Amino acid sequence: MRYLSILPIAAILAGCAAPSLYQWGGYDQALYAGYKDPAKMETLRVQLEKHIATMETSKQKVAPGLYAELGTLYLQSGASDKAIALYSQERAAWPESKGLMTAMIQNLERRQQAKVEAVK
Amino acid sequence: MRVFLCALVSVFLMGCVTQPTKKDMSAFQAAAPRSILVVPTINKSLDVDAPNYVLAALPVPIAEKGYYVFPVNTTKYVLEQEGYYEGERIHQQSTPVLAKLFDADAVLYVSINRWDAQFALLTTVVTVEFDYHLVSKDGTELWKENKRMQYQPQSNNAGHPLATLIVAVVNAAVARAAPNYMPLTQQANQQVFILGPNAIPNGPYWPTAAKY
Repeated sequence: MRYLSILPIAAILAGCAAPSLYQWGGYDQALYAGYKDPAKMETLRVQLEKHIATMETSKQKVAPGLYAELGTLYLQSGASDKAIALYSQERAAWPESKGLMTAMIQNLERRQQAKVEAVK
Repeated sequence: MRVFLCALVSVFLMGCVTQPTKKDMSAFQAAAPRSILVVPTINKSLDVDAPNYVLAALPVPIAEKGYYVFPVNTTKYVLEQEGYYEGERIHQQSTPVLAKLFDADAVLYVSINRWDAQFALLTTVVTVEFDYHLVSKDGTELWKENKRMQYQPQSNNAGHPLATLIVAVVNAAVARAAPNYMPLTQQANQQVFILGPNAIPNGPYWPTAAKY
C-alpha cells in the first residue's frame, strides 16, 4: 500500500522535472565538438540545417540563437547571402535580437555593395 | 491540475529540507531583463580549452529558463571582429558598452576557477568550479553565484581485495586520462540557473501556469 502511494508522486515529479521549452537538435554537444576540433564545425552546420528544417516542417519554434548561429557558420565560409537570410529569420523569430541582427545585416549589405562597386 | 499537484508535492518535499537563505532578487526583478548576452569566459584554470567548452554549455539552460540568449558563437565571432579574442579583455570592458553593442538587457560573465583532475591515492578527483556574474545594461549587478562540482569514480567492492584494488586503479587511470568535465559543467549550470535555491527568476518565455 505504501508503494502505491509513492508511485503517483514519482510520476508527478517526473512530470515537473526538466520542463523543456525548446528542442535543440544537439546544438550544445555539436558546438562543443566544433570547439574541440574545428573540422567538426561543418558537422554543426549540417546538423543545425537539418534541425531547423525539421522544426519548420512541424511548425515548432526554433530555439533562440539557432538561426543566427547557422548564419554565422555560413558567413565564416563566405556565403554572406545565406548569412543575411538567416539573420533575418532570427530577427523575425526573436524580437530581442533585432538590434544586433539589423546591425549585422546592414554591415554585410554594405560590404556586398562595396564589393560590387569595386568590380565596376 | 498538474501544476497544482506539483506545487503540493513540492510543499511536501520542502517540509523535509531546511530552506537555505534566499538571496535578494529585487534588483533582478526591477531590471526584468528579457535578453542575456553570454560573453566568452575567463579562464583561471590551466586547461586552455576550458573557456570554449564552458561557453558551449551555457546557452541551453539559460534559454530553457525563459530568456533570449544571444547566440554564443556568433557573439564570440562579433567580438573577435572587434579585436577581442580573450575573455579577460572582454570582462574588463564596461557592461553598458558591451550591452549597447549587442542591444542586450544584461550580460553574463563566467569565470572558470577550477577545471582539473587530481590524482590521489587510488582515485582521481575531477573538479570544476565557476563564478557567475549577471550585470544589467546600466551596470547594476543583478545576480551572482559560485558553483563547485566534484566527481570521484566509485570503486565498487569487487569482492576479492586485489580485484577491488585493480578496479580502483583502472577507474582512477581512466578518469585521469580523459577527465569528463562536461557532465559536471552541465550539472553546475543546471544547479545555478534552474534547480538551485538562488536560481535566476523565470524569464519572459517561461510558460505561465495559465498555459497548462
